[in-house]
Amino acid sequence: MRNYLRRLRNERGWSQAALAERLGVSRQSVNAIETGKYDPSLPLAFAIARLFEAPIEAIFEDDSGPDTDEAAQAADTGSA
Amino acid sequence: MATGNFARAKRRYHQSFWPLMAVYTVTIIGGSVWLGQYAVAPAGFAVAVALGATLPLIGILLVILRYFNETDEYTRLRQLNAFARAAVFTMSAVFLVGFLQLFDVIGRVEVFWFGPMFLASWGLAYCFGMVAGRTV
Repeated sequence: MRNYLRRLRNERGWSQAALAERLGVSRQSVNAIETGKYDPSLPLAFAIARLFEAPIEAIFEDDSGPDTDEAAQAADTGSA
Repeated sequence: MATGNFARAKRRYHQSFWPLMAVYTVTIIGGSVWLGQYAVAPAGFAVAVALGATLPLIGILLVILRYFNETDEYTRLRQLNAFARAAVFTMSAVFLVGFLQLFDVIGRVEVFWFGPMFLASWGLAYCFGMVAGRTV
């Protein structure tokens, strides 16, 4: 999953530690999410969305590409 | 599982861990010196020191368990991952040493040392996990 957490955080001038404190997680958690090492759970993703007052899909984006069921279905429909 | 709160969990962990560790250290050092005065320590004294050292250790293990439940999800994941790796490593050593003993290849090995081995391998696995790549 791709995310725009670093950009949103930088826009507000927050450090990773400051964002971590607001979310109640460790600074390492924020770093792992920003660098794509860790995908947050839904509750944490919603907490991030609430904090930045943005919909989840504006922060997190599925980058699994054509492997997703939806994409496969679309491809099937297109070829039919 | 709830996302938890890292700062609060860490604070509670340290508030409980260090007093228990202090009790353990005082008991194990004081108890060893005390028992060392006897050629053969009275059983009651030895049991008292053994219990005095074990109870704070049990407390520490429970504090660690509480920390797992209370901390944030990423820390919990990393800790449990390292915990599982340490368990695999230690259990492998237990089985290997156990069979070697059973078949009289090696002499008696103190089971006690598998505890510190587990804790040390847990710490190493956690440090290794910090520098390794993607988590989930």
